[in-house]
Amino acid sequence: MKNKNMIFRISAIITMALMMIQAAASAQEDSLGPDNRPAKPAFESGYLIDQQTSVVPIKNTLEFAIHHRFGTVENGISDLYGIYGASNIRLGLNYSLTNNIQVGIGTTKLKKYQDVTIKYSILKQSRSLSIPVSVTFFENIGIDARDEAVFGTQYKFSQRFSYFSQLIITHRFDDMVSLQVSPSFTHYNWTDIQVQKIENEAGEEVNDTIRFDHDKIGISFGCRVKISPQTSIIAGVDLPLWVDKIREYPKPDQLSKPNISLGVEISTSTHAFQIFIASAQGILPQENMMWNNLDGSDKLLISQFMLGFNITRLWNF
Amino acid sequence: MKTKSLIFLAVSLLITVAFLSNNAFAQKKPGPWEVPAKYKTMKNPVKTTDADATASGKALYAKHCKSCHGSKGLGDGPKAAGLKTSSGDFSGAAFQSQTDGELFYKTSFGRDEMPAYDKKVPDEADRWSMVNYMRSLKK
Repeated sequence: MKNKNMIFRISAIITMALMMIQAAASAQEDSLGPDNRPAKPAFESGYLIDQQTSVVPIKNTLEFAIHHRFGTVENGISDLYGIYGASNIRLGLNYSLTNNIQVGIGTTKLKKYQDVTIKYSILKQSRSLSIPVSVTFFENIGIDARDEAVFGTQYKFSQRFSYFSQLIITHRFDDMVSLQVSPSFTHYNWTDIQVQKIENEAGEEVNDTIRFDHDKIGISFGCRVKISPQTSIIAGVDLPLWVDKIREYPKPDQLSKPNISLGVEISTSTHAFQIFIASAQGILPQENMMWNNLDGSDKLLISQFMLGFNITRLWNF
Repeated sequence: MKTKSLIFLAVSLLITVAFLSNNAFAQKKPGPWEVPAKYKTMKNPVKTTDADATASGKALYAKHCKSCHGSKGLGDGPKAAGLKTSSGDFSGAAFQSQTDGELFYKTSFGRDEMPAYDKKVPDEADRWSMVNYMRSLKK
C-alpha cells in the first residue's frame, strides 16, 4: 500500500513538473513564433536497458537488436560474476513502416519466446514545448514455444500467448537529460500452478497449490543523463504492482520483484551500445513484469543482479 | 647455400608483399563532386549566433562525423584508415572555399563511402547546424 502511494505521488509530481515546463515555455516564445518542430529524440535507440523508449526511427529504417543477459552475480568470481553462468539472449528485427509506426519480431532463449511488437508514436514533443511530452504506445505479443508438455494436460495453442501493452510518456528536458514514465498492462493466457508441501493444523504434510494471476499492472521509470556527446548514464525501474481490484487469487508468497537497472550507453551514428547491471533476466517486458525472481522472499537481493548488454544497429533504406 | 637462398627468397617475398599491400591500401584522393546549382547557392538559415543550434551542430558532428573526419576535421578519425578514399581536411582552404549549400548537399546525400545523413539527421536545420560546425574547424 505504501508502495502504491509512493508511486502515485511520484507520478503526480512528474505531471506537475511537466505542466510547469509547458507554462514556462509558452512564456518564453519570442517574436519569431514558437518552434513547433519535433524535438530531437529523447533517447539514442528504441531500447533503454529492459524498457522501450519513445524513439521510432525514420520511415524505412531497419533496426537489428541484440540483447544479452548474463547469469546472476551471486556466485562471485567462481563464474566471473555470472559471465560464465546461464544467460538469456534475444535477437530482434524492427522496421519503421512510417515515421510513427515501427513493427518488429524477436526470438528469445528463455521459454523460447517468439514475439511480435508494434510501436506507435501518438504524440511527439515539440521544440517549443507546445507539446511537452512524447506519447508512444507499445505492444508486445509473445508466444511461448516450449514443448506442449510444459502447459499441463489440457493443452491448447492459445495457452502460449502473452501480451504486454504500455504507454510511454517521455520528456526530453535538454540535450542531456530525458525522463520517461510508462504504465503497463501484462496478460498471460495461461499461468503455471505450483504445488508445495505445507504442514496443516494437525501437523501433517499436505500439498498446497499456488495459483498465479493472469494480469499484472506495472509502471516503469527510465532516464538518461548524457555525460559527453556519445556517452550517457542510463537507469530504469520496472515496478510490478499488486492491485486488489484485478486480483484473482490470494496474494502468493512469490511476487514478481522490481527490476532495477543502471548502465552506460555509447551511441554512434548507426549503433547504440548499452552495458548495465539489472535485476531481471527476462528481456521480454511481460516476462519481467510477471515472473521476475519468484523465490518466496519479499526483498530484492544484491545476488539477484546480473550484467547485460544491448546492441542496436540501424540501416536506412 | 640452400638456406641462404631460402632466406633471400623469403625476404624478397616479404618486401614484395609489403610493397604491394602498401599500394593496395593507399587511399585515393576524392574525385570531383558535382553539386546541383540549386544547392550551391542555397542560403544557410541557421545563424552562427544561435547558441542552441551551435551546441546541436557540435553534438551531431561528434555522433555522426567524428569517427571518420576526426575531432578537428583533419580526416584522422579512428575509422579513417579503413576507408578507400581520404576523408579530407575540413580545416584547409580547399574545403572551406565551398559554399554552405555545397556542404549541406554533400552532408545530406553523400556518395560512395560517405553516407547520406538526410535520414539519420532528418531535420534540415540540424544539418545546417552541422555545416556551421564544419565552418568553425577552419584554421
